[in-house]
Amino acid sequence: MPPICPYCSTTFDAVDKLKTHIIAEHGAEPLPRPEGLIDLMVNGERYELQVEPNVTLYTVIHDRLGLTGVKMFCDRGACGSCTVIMNGRPVLSCMTLAIECDSATIETAEGIAAAKHPLIETYVKHHCMQCGYCTPGFVVTAKALLDRNPNPTEEEIREALSGNLCRCGTYPQHPKAVAEAAKLLQGGEGGTR
Amino acid sequence: MNKDDRERIIAPEHTLRADKYPLEDYSAIGRRGVRRKDGYEKATGYAVYTTDVQLPGQLMLRILTCPYPHARIKSMDTSKAAALPGVRALLRYDDPELPERADVSGHFGGGTEGHEPVLNRVGYWQGMPMAVAVAADTEDIANEALGLVEIDWEERPFNLDQEEALKPGAPLSNPESFPDGNFVIPAQQREAKVVWGNPDEGFKEADRIIEWRMRKDKENWVGPERPNGLFRWNGEYPEVWLKHQRPHLSKRQIARFFKIPVSQVTVHCLYQGGTFGGWSQMALNMQPNMIAGILSKRTGKPVKWQFTRREDFCGAGMDNARYQVKVGFKNDGVITAVAATSCFARKGFAHLGHFVENTRVHHLLQESNGAVLNIMPGSAFRCEQNMNALCLGAVLNRVAEALEMDPTEVALKNDGVEGRPMADLADLKRAHGFGGDRDSLKECIEVGKKAIEWGGKWHLPGTKRLPNGKLHGMGFTFTHEWSDSSGSGALGMRIERDDGSARILAQRCDNGCAAETAYCQIAADELGFRYEDVHYRQFEEAGFTTMTPDSSTNLTVNGYAIRNAARQLRQKILEIATTPRIPERPDMGYYPPFPDYKPEDLDIKDGVVYVKKDPSKRMTMAELVRPAFFMGKMDIGSTEPLFAWGWQNQQGAFMGTPGPRPIFVRQAHFVEVEVDPETGDIEVTKVVNANDVGKAVNPEGVEGQQYGGSVMGISRARAEDTIYCPATGVVLNGNLIDYKINTMLDCGPIDTIIIETGMGYGPYGSVGIGEDVATVLPSAYYAAVHNAIGAWVDMPTTPDRVLKALGRL
Ligand code: FES
Ligand code: FES
Repeated sequence: MPPICPYCSTTFDAVDKLKTHIIAEHGAEPLPRPEGLIDLMVNGERYELQVEPNVTLYTVIHDRLGLTGVKMFCDRGACGSCTVIMNGRPVLSCMTLAIECDSATIETAEGIAAAKHPLIETYVKHHCMQCGYCTPGFVVTAKALLDRNPNPTEEEIREALSGNLCRCGTYPQHPKAVAEAAKLLQGGEGGTR
Repeated sequence: MNKDDRERIIAPEHTLRADKYPLEDYSAIGRRGVRRKDGYEKATGYAVYTTDVQLPGQLMLRILTCPYPHARIKSMDTSKAAALPGVRALLRYDDPELPERADVSGHFGGGTEGHEPVLNRVGYWQGMPMAVAVAADTEDIANEALGLVEIDWEERPFNLDQEEALKPGAPLSNPESFPDGNFVIPAQQREAKVVWGNPDEGFKEADRIIEWRMRKDKENWVGPERPNGLFRWNGEYPEVWLKHQRPHLSKRQIARFFKIPVSQVTVHCLYQGGTFGGWSQMALNMQPNMIAGILSKRTGKPVKWQFTRREDFCGAGMDNARYQVKVGFKNDGVITAVAATSCFARKGFAHLGHFVENTRVHHLLQESNGAVLNIMPGSAFRCEQNMNALCLGAVLNRVAEALEMDPTEVALKNDGVEGRPMADLADLKRAHGFGGDRDSLKECIEVGKKAIEWGGKWHLPGTKRLPNGKLHGMGFTFTHEWSDSSGSGALGMRIERDDGSARILAQRCDNGCAAETAYCQIAADELGFRYEDVHYRQFEEAGFTTMTPDSSTNLTVNGYAIRNAARQLRQKILEIATTPRIPERPDMGYYPPFPDYKPEDLDIKDGVVYVKKDPSKRMTMAELVRPAFFMGKMDIGSTEPLFAWGWQNQQGAFMGTPGPRPIFVRQAHFVEVEVDPETGDIEVTKVVNANDVGKAVNPEGVEGQQYGGSVMGISRARAEDTIYCPATGVVLNGNLIDYKINTMLDCGPIDTIIIETGMGYGPYGSVGIGEDVATVLPSAYYAAVHNAIGAWVDMPTTPDRVLKALGRL
């Protein structure tokens, strides 16, 4: 059967000609995009992923992309340990459907580390981790804070991180690490954003 | 290894005295600012926890949980579930492969066989995993399959309250295992009633006697990484990933369960997302692993399981107890007798132990009546000394209140060991190898009071209202430091050929205390290496059995094992430095690196071996152990492999063990609060922890346990309570939205003070710190709330309880 245009039913003698026609005449992608296909830019890498509508962003990042920096603690949007930065804002990946994230740009703790953000070393220096399970979630939330507020007060840091739970009780250390990272960023020492 | 090290290892009673061989100089040990070995991995998310492990083709296992507090299955039809596409295997309670009862508990896994049915036909609490398990391609399919299981339930009467459950005529909570009644005695105890001295006499000696009732409600452990595991049957033998604090014991359990040699079981123990004892000690914690094992064997595929947060909330709680306390004391604050009866939900723990270990109070009567209930079983998490610490703190503060005395004075008056006042104990301290001159409690109290400005701020209860309208309170409590308990650690240490760095080979025993960092600090100083050149790489398989905190012991056991290994390794290094390597081929350059010296002529510092009398004769470790020559393209080692292993067997300190092992190191905590009389809200404005840890090997790690424990302690004391619906017996707040734990905004500044008297039994005079602050601090908070409002409020001190105590509700 000759290829037929799905929009205007014109027939062509070759598929390539049909494709050119659809782009030119109808301004559309020649092949319909399969349902559930999403594009994600994660830590600077582009991924094209087929996802079921009920799959969370957490599952995609953790189970499929193998980025263990997203951690599942509360399982229900209460703890912040699964936080990623999506299009510049911190979001809870356990409460976000992957299918709604098409074209999103996402950063995880691994990406923040790869970019040599000073937060990582200030976190190590100030012992912000004990069991460490909640730590990447804090790092991501803190990075999002510094992106929008490069010089936060202690109060602002505490406020920004108050949605992240740490059962080990590392809370007193985080403001010190975040403030020091902010200083390093401003002084131009200790890495780039 | 010298004679003393040897004795310490093979004769446990020798661990009843101070470390005789501290180092003269410390370099890495006690130094601030060493880079945490686990820091980068954990900050970046690269640290791998059991929950992160996935294997190709793995199936997901889900287990039915009991929807009722007490119910038996009359009949069960699993045919629809089994037929669901994607379901690969299903296990029922009546499966012929299941033993009638098996050891599926974690904590006492080394003990008795025949605890529980693996899949029970009867559920004894809402949320109990039971009856049927499904392994499917995805978790969703497994859940859907469980939804298709048709069950005809026989609901049974249930008990939610221990006092009700012990009344005559109460229904049986578990007629299968406890057919004679609901009464039980606490875990770790042989008798319900324990007497020290002569309580009647003690009360006769008293000038005054007071009595009261108090309670502590049930809290949950809330470990951030949910219980999970992965089981892969590799044809002949199992390979298991366990989130568990006692993986070595679980390994033996798995071997027994599947009737295979222990050496055929491979157990991987990775980082643990906060365990705090909790899950590892639950009654049924090996159940999902055994089921995963059976189904992995049947399907030939890896089987992974993971509880939901809600399921975890239904799994285990702690501290559900009521107390009736009677105290006799002199007008000067000296306590003459304490009699306290607890009524707890199984499984409870001792509640007057800290008076024995920690005070001069000679006459004690401890009675414990426990009940089996149809709520989640009790478990120990950070830690089972909660009841002991609460009773000591409450007695001390009630006596202070009755006498209108400063509670720190009452503490100092009653400080002691095994019923003897501290002042009498200088000889005993010396006999146990400690100097005998320092008074730990006095030091803790002095620095703590100063830090919180106790002198200017403490007042009689209920007497200070602040300009903001809030009621101001100051609280204090004390107890001893956890001087560890029994356990053994074994580990290896080797020198890498190429660069002469050292590597500790041991099962991962990380619980967040920076323990692995501390071990590297010890190894560095003992070897004479730079800290940066010593690494802890887990010997992933649970073969070397390093102690994890499950038995409250980490550094104090493993620290000795590290030291024993390092000292042997150091000796080996000095020997190869002075020994011809291949005596018959001196022509090939195999002369000793230090040909004219004996091992004792040499020393090692900063990873450089040198002649003591002539330090210019030196060789770095890398030079010493470098490959000697090339044969073809192959490096041939010029020294024997430099490997040593060490172990430590530790005698426990807790009651009932032969001893005595009197504990001389103390901790004191101070809490300042503001109570809003309109809302009942309590703000913690300051906390001070003063801990005599003997010797702080990793000071930042110690501080982490101080402020971390304070955060957890305040959280428990102020808010945490697992609530059951009285009508249905179902947990009402099994999630982190309704069960609130502290956030960053919930606690004011925490001052951490480290005191180092060297009076611990651990290496270099150290003691443990991980469990105690979270356990002890609630009593100081409890006292602070009382000091603010002038009335006692049971914990958790929820606003409704505060308002009731203020007569406003
Ligand atoms: S796991 Fe996503 S918020 Fe807790
Ligand atoms: S470090 Fe353990 S939960 Fe935060």
